[in-house]
Amino acid sequence: MAEKEATVYIVDVGKSMGERHHGRLVSDLEWGMQYVWDRITTTVATGRKTATIGVVALRSDDTLNELADEPSFAHISVLQNLGQVLMPDLRKLRDSLKPSHTNKGDTISAFVIAIQMIHAYCKKLKYKREIVMVTNGNGFINGEDLDHIKQKVKEDNIKLTVIGADFDDPDYGVKEEDKDPRKAANERLLQQFVEDCDGAYGTLEQAVTELEIPRVKITKSMPSFKGFLQLGDATKYETAVRIPVERYFRTYAAKPPSASSFVLRSGGEQDGDSGTATNQAPGEGDALAAVRTSRTYQITDESAPGGKVDVERDDLAKGYEYGRTAVHISQTEENITNLETFAGLEILGFIASEKYDRYLHMSNVNVIIPARADDNASLALSSFVHALFELSSFAVARLVAKENKPPLLVLLAPSIEPDFECLLEVQLPFAEDLRSYRFPPLDKVVTVSGKVVTEHRNLPNDDLQKAMDQYVDSMEMDLKDDDGDLIEGLPIEHSFSPLLHRIEAAVRYRAIHPNEPVLEPADRLTKFSHPDEELVEKTKKELEKLIAAADVKKVPPKTKGRKRQRETEKPLSGLDIDALLKQEPKRAKISARNAIPEFKQVLSLADTIETIHDAVQQMGQIIEDQIKHSLGDANYDRVIENLGTVREELQDYEEPAAYNDLIRQLKEKILSESLGGDRRELWWLIRKSKLGLIDKKASEVSTVSEEEASEFFSTS
Amino acid sequence: MADEGYNHEDETYDEEEVDETSFRAVKDAILFAIDVSSSMLEPRPSENPKKPGGVSPASAALKCAYHLMQQRIISNPRDMIGVLLYGTEASKFYDEDGDLVSYPHCYLFTDLDIPSAQEVKELRGLAEDEEEARKILQPSKEPVSMANVLFCANQIFTSKAPNFLSRRLFIVTDEDNPHADNKSLRSAATVRARDLYDLGVNIELFPISRPGHEFDTSKFYDDIIYKTSPTDGEAPAYLQPDTNEPTAKGDGISLLNSLLSSINSRSVPRRTLFSNVPLEIGPGFKISVNGYLLLKRQEPARSCYVWLGGETPQIAKGVTTQMADDTAQTVEKGDIRKAYKFGGEQVSFTTEEQQALRSFGDPVIRIIGFKPLSALPFWANLKHPSFIYPSEEDYIGSTRVFSALQQKLLKSQKLALVWFIPRKNASPVLAAMIAGEEKVDENGVQKIPPGMWIIPLPFADDVRQNPETNRIEAPDSLIDLMRQVVQQLQLPKAVYDPQKYPNPSLQWHYRILQALALDEDHPGEPEDKTIPKYRQIDKRAGEYVLAWAEELDTQIKKLGLTAATKTTLVKRGPKESSETAGSPPSKRVKVESGNIDSEVKKSFEKGTVAKLTMPTLKEFLHAHGRSSAGKKADLVDRVEQFFEQKL
Repeated sequence: MAEKEATVYIVDVGKSMGERHHGRLVSDLEWGMQYVWDRITTTVATGRKTATIGVVALRSDDTLNELADEPSFAHISVLQNLGQVLMPDLRKLRDSLKPSHTNKGDTISAFVIAIQMIHAYCKKLKYKREIVMVTNGNGFINGEDLDHIKQKVKEDNIKLTVIGADFDDPDYGVKEEDKDPRKAANERLLQQFVEDCDGAYGTLEQAVTELEIPRVKITKSMPSFKGFLQLGDATKYETAVRIPVERYFRTYAAKPPSASSFVLRSGGEQDGDSGTATNQAPGEGDALAAVRTSRTYQITDESAPGGKVDVERDDLAKGYEYGRTAVHISQTEENITNLETFAGLEILGFIASEKYDRYLHMSNVNVIIPARADDNASLALSSFVHALFELSSFAVARLVAKENKPPLLVLLAPSIEPDFECLLEVQLPFAEDLRSYRFPPLDKVVTVSGKVVTEHRNLPNDDLQKAMDQYVDSMEMDLKDDDGDLIEGLPIEHSFSPLLHRIEAAVRYRAIHPNEPVLEPADRLTKFSHPDEELVEKTKKELEKLIAAADVKKVPPKTKGRKRQRETEKPLSGLDIDALLKQEPKRAKISARNAIPEFKQVLSLADTIETIHDAVQQMGQIIEDQIKHSLGDANYDRVIENLGTVREELQDYEEPAAYNDLIRQLKEKILSESLGGDRRELWWLIRKSKLGLIDKKASEVSTVSEEEASEFFSTS
Repeated sequence: MADEGYNHEDETYDEEEVDETSFRAVKDAILFAIDVSSSMLEPRPSENPKKPGGVSPASAALKCAYHLMQQRIISNPRDMIGVLLYGTEASKFYDEDGDLVSYPHCYLFTDLDIPSAQEVKELRGLAEDEEEARKILQPSKEPVSMANVLFCANQIFTSKAPNFLSRRLFIVTDEDNPHADNKSLRSAATVRARDLYDLGVNIELFPISRPGHEFDTSKFYDDIIYKTSPTDGEAPAYLQPDTNEPTAKGDGISLLNSLLSSINSRSVPRRTLFSNVPLEIGPGFKISVNGYLLLKRQEPARSCYVWLGGETPQIAKGVTTQMADDTAQTVEKGDIRKAYKFGGEQVSFTTEEQQALRSFGDPVIRIIGFKPLSALPFWANLKHPSFIYPSEEDYIGSTRVFSALQQKLLKSQKLALVWFIPRKNASPVLAAMIAGEEKVDENGVQKIPPGMWIIPLPFADDVRQNPETNRIEAPDSLIDLMRQVVQQLQLPKAVYDPQKYPNPSLQWHYRILQALALDEDHPGEPEDKTIPKYRQIDKRAGEYVLAWAEELDTQIKKLGLTAATKTTLVKRGPKESSETAGSPPSKRVKVESGNIDSEVKKSFEKGTVAKLTMPTLKEFLHAHGRSSAGKKADLVDRVEQFFEQKL
């Protein structure tokens, strides 16, 4: 459970806060609110009832507080009493936090009100208490009786934070020239006051800049396994070791907040059109209706129209597919396919760490530590960790975290830090997890005849290798963190999940600014998206040399899909099959059984355009016959393959018109149901397979525009 | 619960890429064409006198096909496989041909399809040489026409696997010159081979050498097999025909093994995870690479619903429709808005806004600098890596630049830090790109390809704090003794070889399903290679463990430490490290006093387990890796079961 919180924000809304200073595009209030909104919305986003917020306006037009009768408490308004803040509260605050028409109102009195609010709300209970003030320091400050207030702040253990627009801060490098003497005096007074209360005092520029650094949520881990690290079988052998251990996450992917699906409530007005939200504006959420998913089940039934019938969920048993055979499992045997296992972390053996390939890491990483308050376990595990470390070894172990869970093979590595010792644990691949895709070597080329070649266009020559070596060496990184200190190793602790923080920030921003477009990601989130400019500058020469030695050429997009070179269409022996094909007399006509190869071959041997057109015509006939004779969708895949092949080939041969004619005719015949009844499903498939007209973008010689091509798919 | 409630949201980019530019289905079909000649049926006597009896090449090929079929049911449940025997006396093709034999001496034993349990059983029967099957494996008296075989395969692919992205014909034969003296038959075969190439079928040859005769591909097969794959233009010649690799030969067992290893290595077609993503080596300097998923946890297929109302059980397909909660009307995908819970309400975004929020630019692998490999900590990991290999599609010269970079990183032991967006709208990650060397097995078949690996790094958000511990550093005397234990128990060659460890629960799942599907007996004990070799551990390291345990006791006394007071667990052997301090370190003497195990055991023997307290029962079960959840009666049951099993 997170600690209960009570935070009161004092926002200076005086007339002068509405002014813009020092060439800024925003007023002091708008500027300060960037900080305040960020803090408030961050709290709201947690959804915690015990994270309470109160808001007090200073130098407001009205006076609204418990001590309103006393003149020194005039022009101070409590806009929000302490409690959980929800969207309606935010909307209300958004509208009421506007610059006032007065500069009256005492800053210190506002503190008193805030202290009072916290005192009344929290009583003597355990709370994290805080008062945050944002001001430009132009107002009136009554410095009397400060000691009494300081004492109260300390007594109640309230953290005080004062952030000021253009407050001087030599550490951060802010100094306002021509500062109004009254403001200077106010700054001195406030600083003294805050420091005496052990609070934080700072300049607004720094506070707003630091909003960019994302806050990382600290998650307390629970053990995912409590059991024994075992060597040997303790039930059979006297020589078995069992060390009580616990397992915790070391890394675990933090997920961005998940969205749910909604639709606009039917009949409801468009939201977002209501201009700047007013009090009567319905909340954005109000106009949305949740989306429900419903599931029905179908089986294949040849006799039914459409070939499928619905079945009731209750008539279904649980089961699995074995190949294309359905295997059902009765309820009593539900776990029959589960392997029986017992919890434990059992060592199989040891490997040399330098012989382990780092890319075999399959999962997040856990730490294995000795069971709590067990000195024996600590001592035993420590000897194990150190032994592995001294031998540069890793252990391979079998982990079953809970009874009857599938066993995992894990790698255990020693980790010794100055004040922490543990085993690090990561999952290893099983035989089935390793897919054998094969690729040719990168340091030599083996020719068809089996000869090994070391000089080849696919291999770097000495120049290129040298240029690469120098470039890589020159691009060695020295990374600095946000304070300008050098980062050891990789910047893991200094990089933040761009998606997670961008979505969180967007949600918070949208809550306050419902009608504004979503923002670009903060620069800090994409800090590592490009190499450091200084480094780029430093390595410019090396890169130029590398580019010259590499001689890489971009392939123009047009030629990308072109037919492969004729060379590759020969068998290994290089035999001229085309010559053989020419001798075959029977291939004058394309046979339906062997349509694709014969069509391709006719095209590759064609001397005249007529031959191509004739071949297309024949394919058209074959395709139509296939559709006509298709029982249901039986031939549809073949039709798609034939059409797709014709399309690809004609695009390569730059004869898009021939295909476009074919597909136009086919569409008409399908839609007029002249190819054996309702074939709309086939049209849908053609559309899905993107086998429509070849447009200008796909082929330069086409006369069909992109719009026409997309319009073509519509059936109305 | 079967597949209900499955959350489709935030799908990661792990899913295999669906190539949206192609009309073809991303599926694979393999047809085995196995030569059944008298020399293929001749058993090769074993050279090992201890294991007499031989295996014929045909039988080895069938065993491989059976093995691959079983394996693909697990790894590629949507892909097809078939077995065509050729050179047989009998002929069999699709029924509709009736008496008319269209492809003489071609016997379609298993039609090309996702295999059924029955087909698995039949193929196993054939592979294991059962009587019935023997009738089929009769070589014909006249030679078979290779043109016919190839066209038969063509027709099978055309009708059964239309529009598949990958179609492969695996030819297993020991005949390197089928039509030595008939030029016209030979040229007919080359034309039919070209047809297959144009159809997009890849022929992969698994040649077998006869005793005293090396298989020579130049006699016939170099006219049949093409330089590049018709579907994977990137796949270079070397990968296609394995004519450069040693052909399968030798006695039955080694023939089977080399054939298995060769077929296994080609069991899955190469599928890209992402294609032609620019690898930006420096500003303005790009090459193109393809990404592959070489390591991915293989899970059993999810359970489904089976309809039992018909003659044979049938899988019921779930159809999901989305509807508005207020009107119950079906909702189109385009109308759906995404909203986040915030301050008790929903903060919503339009689909376009949602997309804009997820977009961080076009796919790229951008190098932002280099670091020594040692900068990558062991713990900096979240998931499996991606493998990348150069492609010449977008940039000519990519391969040589990639090669130079890979060799440099290997040589200098460096890694590249990269900004990685694998595909459009994928969430960007910071990743370590490391070079990987090629690895081959004892048969010269590639196990791990050369290339580079992209290891996504955790962000600060993904790093958890270390839990608190009470640290007690072990003294050198204790570490020295543990070191000896570790040294005794190295795995072979001190490496981890994934190939040696099939996933026991995955295998068991399918083993049981197969038994159920074929109405076979329960397979009995599962084979589990992940269980430690206890006897060896005891034999090799036993003494050293005892010495270590003795020193541990000494140290505990010396340091005045105590074990956790709440756990009274003291094991029967002297090695239990949570033993109460002060128990005598006696060699091979059971320390039973005050031991929870013996207490529970005694109760069991007296039949009074039910009288034990809940904490005792829980602790006992926990110590033996059993679940300690549930009511007391459940716990008592479980404890009794424990002892009954031991008896």
